[in-house]
Amino acid sequence: MIKARHLALGAVAAILVAACQDTASPRPSITAGHVKPPPKGGGECANFRLTGGGRVDQRDHLGYAKSTPESHDFATFGFQARPTSSCPPTDGSGNIEWNEHNPDEFGGGFAFHGQVAFFTTPTDETAGDSRCGRFGGLGRLNTRNNGTFEDVPFEVNHACDVAEPGVGNDHIKITIGDVYTRHGILSGGNIQQHRLTGNN
Amino acid sequence: MTLRFLVALTLLAGAVQAQSVTGKAFGTYVNLAGNVSQSPVATLPSSGGMATGQADAFGVPGSVDAQWLNAVTTGAVDNKKTGAQSTSEVENVSTAAGLITADIVTAVATSYFGQFDGGTDATGSGFTNLVVNGVPVTEDVAPNTRVDLPGVGYAILNEQTPTGDGVTSWGMTVNMIHVVLQDALTGLTTCEIIIGSASSSVAR
Repeated sequence: MIKARHLALGAVAAILVAACQDTASPRPSITAGHVKPPPKGGGECANFRLTGGGRVDQRDHLGYAKSTPESHDFATFGFQARPTSSCPPTDGSGNIEWNEHNPDEFGGGFAFHGQVAFFTTPTDETAGDSRCGRFGGLGRLNTRNNGTFEDVPFEVNHACDVAEPGVGNDHIKITIGDVYTRHGILSGGNIQQHRLTGNN
Repeated sequence: MTLRFLVALTLLAGAVQAQSVTGKAFGTYVNLAGNVSQSPVATLPSSGGMATGQADAFGVPGSVDAQWLNAVTTGAVDNKKTGAQSTSEVENVSTAAGLITADIVTAVATSYFGQFDGGTDATGSGFTNLVVNGVPVTEDVAPNTRVDLPGVGYAILNEQTPTGDGVTSWGMTVNMIHVVLQDALTGLTTCEIIIGSASSSVAR
């Protein structure tokens, strides 16, 4: 843990490069003092809102068991997101907290706080699934050992309310800048899709 | 006719009954002889929404040391589907004079109901590299596990307290580490410490 918290900058850079090489399509990247606007476009107006919170351990739908304790390989989250009252455009509002514990992830792990700027139907492999929504915007990335980055773009590529309870059913995929992505089935918590009523 | 009227009245009463959610999460709480110290608390509005509470570090000398405290609670009220979920995380925890340590303490409390049923659970709660009385705990800790802390007091690990009637309301409070320090001579409680607390409830 202590060792992980003192990763040399070179190691962090290597992680950054590896993450970039894994990128299938152009996405905004994290560069101190230089931030690109959040991704927009694609997707349709969504006539629902989403709330959720909990925990994700495994990746890419490979089950939902807890990771081994020594790996620290899990994230926890909470969010609320909704489209604005008039759509189009596909503007949205809300917030997300995402806490990554894996010391091998960017910055030795981090806490991310994002402000939602757009909300649409998904454009990835979950496109057409009425249980799923997509949202994104900008946020603050507070890393364990690599400082803090402001105005970092993020996108929840999909958050899907599959069933109640959410454990073992609901799933979420998030991308933060070019340096991080996690996609998995909830190992705790819940994601719910709600009608567009009220302000919350 | 009268029966129809009563049924309609009952349905109407149900429709106008206020649905609500509650959620609360915090990293640490210390009550040392009546002096309370607590890390930021996330409290969900009854109508739903989101609340957070964070601190990079929190410590009360002799009681608890912790880092990277993150508490978040979210929820929404909807006739069709209502839910609240709270999460608390605390890292690099040491409490009870080092008798309990953990790399990460995670509390998750989820409550929900749909059109026909509801529920609550603490799935996702857990410890990462928990050590109690110098002994690593490698298995999942069962709910409401009591451990003695020799010469100091005791602790309840993974303390889970369900709330609600299970018919119209559901809820759960999870305190991952609940330490009670006692006077060695009198047995009276001298300090109460809670680390990793999450609670949520829903009602219709």
